[in-house]
Amino acid sequence: MSKPFILCVDDEELGLQIRRAVLERAGYSVRTALNGPEGLDAFSSEPIDLVVLDYSMPGMHGGDVALEMRRLRPTVPIILLSAYVNLPTEVTRIVDCSMLKGDGPELLLSKIQEFLSERAGGMSHGGGRE
Amino acid sequence: MKQREFRRILRQAVYVPILLLLLLAVFFIAQLRRFSNAVNDLHRADLITNSIIDLQKLILDQETGMRGYELTGDPAMLAPYNAGMQPIQQNFADLGSLLSGNSAQEQRLTTLSQRYQLWLSRARRIVANDKTLINNPEADEENKILMDNIRSAVHQMLVTQEKQREEQFLRETPYVTKADLLTTLLAAFIIGLIVAIFTRQRLRTVSRSYDATLAEVEQHTREAHESRQRFKTTLESIGDGVIACDMKGRVQFMNAIAASLTGWAAEDATGRPLTEVFHIIHEETREPAENPVKVVQRLKKVVGLANHTALVSRDGREYVIDDSAAPILGPDGKMTGIVLVFHDVTEQRRTEAALIAGEKLAVAGRLAASIAHEIHNPLDSVSNLLFLLKEEKDPARRDEYLTMAEQELARTMQISRTMLSLYRESKAPVTVDLKDLIEGVMLLLERRIAMQQIDMAYEFVEPCTVEGFPAEIRQVVTNVLVNAIEAAGMKGRIRIRLRSAPAEEFRGAGAMIEVADSGPGIQNGDAHRLFRPFFTTKGEKGTGLGLWVSMGIVQKHGGSIRLSNCGEAQYTGACASIYLPSKTLAGLDHPASPVA
Repeated sequence: MSKPFILCVDDEELGLQIRRAVLERAGYSVRTALNGPEGLDAFSSEPIDLVVLDYSMPGMHGGDVALEMRRLRPTVPIILLSAYVNLPTEVTRIVDCSMLKGDGPELLLSKIQEFLSERAGGMSHGGGRE
Repeated sequence: MKQREFRRILRQAVYVPILLLLLLAVFFIAQLRRFSNAVNDLHRADLITNSIIDLQKLILDQETGMRGYELTGDPAMLAPYNAGMQPIQQNFADLGSLLSGNSAQEQRLTTLSQRYQLWLSRARRIVANDKTLINNPEADEENKILMDNIRSAVHQMLVTQEKQREEQFLRETPYVTKADLLTTLLAAFIIGLIVAIFTRQRLRTVSRSYDATLAEVEQHTREAHESRQRFKTTLESIGDGVIACDMKGRVQFMNAIAASLTGWAAEDATGRPLTEVFHIIHEETREPAENPVKVVQRLKKVVGLANHTALVSRDGREYVIDDSAAPILGPDGKMTGIVLVFHDVTEQRRTEAALIAGEKLAVAGRLAASIAHEIHNPLDSVSNLLFLLKEEKDPARRDEYLTMAEQELARTMQISRTMLSLYRESKAPVTVDLKDLIEGVMLLLERRIAMQQIDMAYEFVEPCTVEGFPAEIRQVVTNVLVNAIEAAGMKGRIRIRLRSAPAEEFRGAGAMIEVADSGPGIQNGDAHRLFRPFFTTKGEKGTGLGLWVSMGIVQKHGGSIRLSNCGEAQYTGACASIYLPSKTLAGLDHPASPVA
């Protein structure tokens, strides 16, 4: 069974690489993108199972990226991961879950697993670690 | 009626009768002179007549004497003859001068004189005993003829004289006594009548004009009284306290609001020195504030009170007041008194203070959000690295993760230190490097600028330092820059220019920060309203206090802030210009600013 494919979009390169390491350690395939348009390219051309999206990015913020992704493939779960405490509700409404950076990898991983299980439905695949 | 016209009429009433009477007097004098001349002429005529009669008598006496001597040969008989000699000569001489100018009579006098000389020459010969003439009937006959000639000449003279006197009398006397007297009386009567009518008419005019003037004065007095009442009512009705003083600073008028704020009844306050009634102090130092009357007398213009002035009422209550004092000018432009207008701003100050505190909280909230954002990113990395470290067996990888975690922690510290140092409050003004300050603000905003992909241009022409409170100036710069970022929108442009401002351009040498953006600019009419509290063009996103507070801060520093449209090709939007003087005025007594 293939690993779930997660797209991480964030303009903080170091943070992005560390997050990639965490997710890969948890057994996911990870595709990274440093800004919104690059993330949308990857989202439309690759079989992405879940998106971990930063909010504040130059040029195109997470809200707009999420909106476009919803338009392309509405069923793909999107987790908005932001350094901001109070994000506008019109943004948080679009995504499945909104988290604060610094909440810790355990919470992020549990949320990812939760959404992937839901998406798999009755399927036996539960993600999880190898 | 004008006073000038009044005087003119009075002059007419006096001078015209005087002139007419003078004319009458001249006329009378002329008449008198004529009359006197006529009398003189008659007197002269009488004198001549008498003189001729006297002459005739003297000549006859001489002849009688001469004939007595001729008949008797007695020399004693010659007494009248000899006695008449001298007076006769005198009479001829007198008559000659009296008749000068009367040619007919002169002629006759000459004839008489010649005839007398003829007779006298014969008489002398008789007296000298000429025998041919004495007792000679022929000679006697000749003598008689000579004497008759003399008598005839005298008679002619007398007749002529009588006739001339008669003519003269007829010519002069009746005329003077009848026609002239009548004319004179008539003239005197007419002139008297004219004078009476004229004077009466003039005096009537004066009387009428006096009545009119009196009515006018009454009307003016009534109007002045009404106007005074109206002004008094107006002053009583307005919502501000009003106190009017004379030049000595004594209270002359006080309205109800002033009475309520000072605690003095208007009738008690009137006449008292202003300082006693209007007791003002500095709200914080408690020092007595300068007497506004003195300030106005010195500056001779409208002056505002110093900031933080408190009015202490008679019962000890205190009100924060805002006031102005102005000179009262007379019609000649000279100062006749001073008027004070003031109102209680205690509530307003409280509200302002609450608003400023609210805005400070909002600023603090935004700052906290910025700090949280900057710290959450490295924090997230560190917690991820710790997660990885827990299960990492490879020492090389562990070292790598640890180094990265250290770096991220150091970054967190750096961010925290920078941001908090930016917002440290200082009690006294310090030297502020504006370039450093702007760069510090940019550190906070760079993420937002990057998100909107704003093209930033910096024109830091020269190093600029000013004296001031860095935290407050930073608040202003942040506010102006955030406005510019919001206005510029996605992919907009912002230019920050920092230059020194020459003394002649402003009130003193200082620095100028200009922030221009490519946004939509300022709507017509918004330029002034933007600095009012609660005015915002940002809808729900703004509190409407940012620029109001910014203006207060800049004014406190003795500077100014201005918003205009740039109108440049690249910067089509608004341009905020902040001028700050090199030497701050903050901390000194200073005109009202909304910053507590």
